[in-house]
Amino acid sequence: MSAFSGESASGAETRLAVRGLRMRYPNGTLALDGVDLTVRAGELVTILGSNGSGKTTLLRCVARLLDPSEGEVLVDGQDLARLNGEALRKARLALAMVFQRANLVRRRSVLANVASGTLGRRRTWWTALGGLPAEELPLARELLRQVGVEQLGGQRADTLSGGQAQRAAIARALAQRPKLILADEPVASLDPEAAEEILRLLRQLAIDSGLAVLCVLHQPALALRYSHRVVGLRDGVVAFDLPADRDADLHIALLYKELAA
Amino acid sequence: MSVDGTTLAAAPRASRAEARDDSAATHGEGGLGRLALRILVGLVVLAILAQSFYVVQARPEDLVTGVHGMVDLLSRAMPPAWSECGDILWPTLETVDLAIFGTVFGVLMALPLAVLAASNVTPARPLYFLARGIIALTRAVPDLVWALLFVTAVGLGPFPGALALSVHSIGMLGRLFSEVIEDMDFGPVEALNLTGASRLQVFTHAVVPGVLPSLLGIGLYRFDENLRSSLVLGFVGAGGIGFRLLTAMNLFQYRTVSLLLVATFILVMAAERGSALLRRQVA
Repeated sequence: MSAFSGESASGAETRLAVRGLRMRYPNGTLALDGVDLTVRAGELVTILGSNGSGKTTLLRCVARLLDPSEGEVLVDGQDLARLNGEALRKARLALAMVFQRANLVRRRSVLANVASGTLGRRRTWWTALGGLPAEELPLARELLRQVGVEQLGGQRADTLSGGQAQRAAIARALAQRPKLILADEPVASLDPEAAEEILRLLRQLAIDSGLAVLCVLHQPALALRYSHRVVGLRDGVVAFDLPADRDADLHIALLYKELAA
Repeated sequence: MSVDGTTLAAAPRASRAEARDDSAATHGEGGLGRLALRILVGLVVLAILAQSFYVVQARPEDLVTGVHGMVDLLSRAMPPAWSECGDILWPTLETVDLAIFGTVFGVLMALPLAVLAASNVTPARPLYFLARGIIALTRAVPDLVWALLFVTAVGLGPFPGALALSVHSIGMLGRLFSEVIEDMDFGPVEALNLTGASRLQVFTHAVVPGVLPSLLGIGLYRFDENLRSSLVLGFVGAGGIGFRLLTAMNLFQYRTVSLLLVATFILVMAAERGSALLRRQVA
């Protein structure tokens, strides 16, 4: 499995560059203390770390769901940390997020959920009134096929299993035509088989479509098997940033062992 | 308490009353206190009942002597004046339309208020308190009182009744709507926000589909309630079956009264069944 690691194209274009990112919560907790991180096109990078190490905070800062206290978040060359309002909304089109829960609109069809990923591009009065952009429906169908659930498009989202819903959520993220996908524990609520399938899909998307994928995981084994690089986070600082091979295995063991000690 | 016990043992010639007191004490002060509390609560409940009998001037004997009058009334009300069915169609329609108008406008005005009055989506604190205030006020004042006010303001007829139902519905619906919004699942909202969708798009594509079934259910239930209220509103001059009922009573047309009561019964049952059926459909 570690043989995959060689595929990460080191010469490829940088999609995400995080520089000196610090995040202090209003209650004084320093969650990130100067994080540097790069994700290139075609690369799946996994962040590992114990609870409270700052993984989710890092992801949420990159997506600007949180406002970082200091540092740069360059997505496709634009510093998201410095943008606001409409400019932020536009720049954010380049990144899509997949959550632990699929977060689909339960009572709408799967196809409608996927098509809603295009709303940022299709800002018409029709879509503002709740309509779906008809011209994007073929794309939505194509994406459902790509993630392997094309037969479920007509069903209501709340009829899907966890793995199917997460696939649909990934299709919705793709409908945005992003350059970077952030995945916050995307397999935490899935059974092992579905978890592997979702990660295989994310990896394939990175390699085939040239997407950059930054993924928070809790399972070191899965991280080693599917990612190109693993980044260890400890107390808001990057402990290691390595290709996913045996060497990384050792560091990961160390990351979690220190915790147990 | 052991002290009490030794005192009791040391004074066997204590009077009976004293001995009973002491033995109660040995069961524990808590037990005694609880017993006293129960007696007190019982007395208070009795007192409340007694004063309500006194205040409403309850005279059970009148029920007995009144039987004759009731039988007389019933005999004069039977059979219902079926021949007037055509005449009561209009007031019946008025009653139904009062409920429709009141519910629709109540919903239309309650929705924006509910958004302001939901603590998780309200745009600003002052607006939140303003919306909460309006909801509390319109809810606290009964629709019958609103009808009285509107009859004074815009004159007799169904329109003041429709206004009264609308205003009262704002409060009843506003509160329930805002609770639905507060309990909403924000996952899809966050997800759509991140796709770069506009605020309005997020609202129509994530918020509305998320809460619409609950809102429809509440609205349908409100329609059911408004229909029953609209029957009474006629008594203060706000049109519909109620107004007809009042006139018929005053003119001693008891067979018309019984016909109107039959119509009322059918309406209320139909609305109840219909709204329950529709609510199951949207769930």
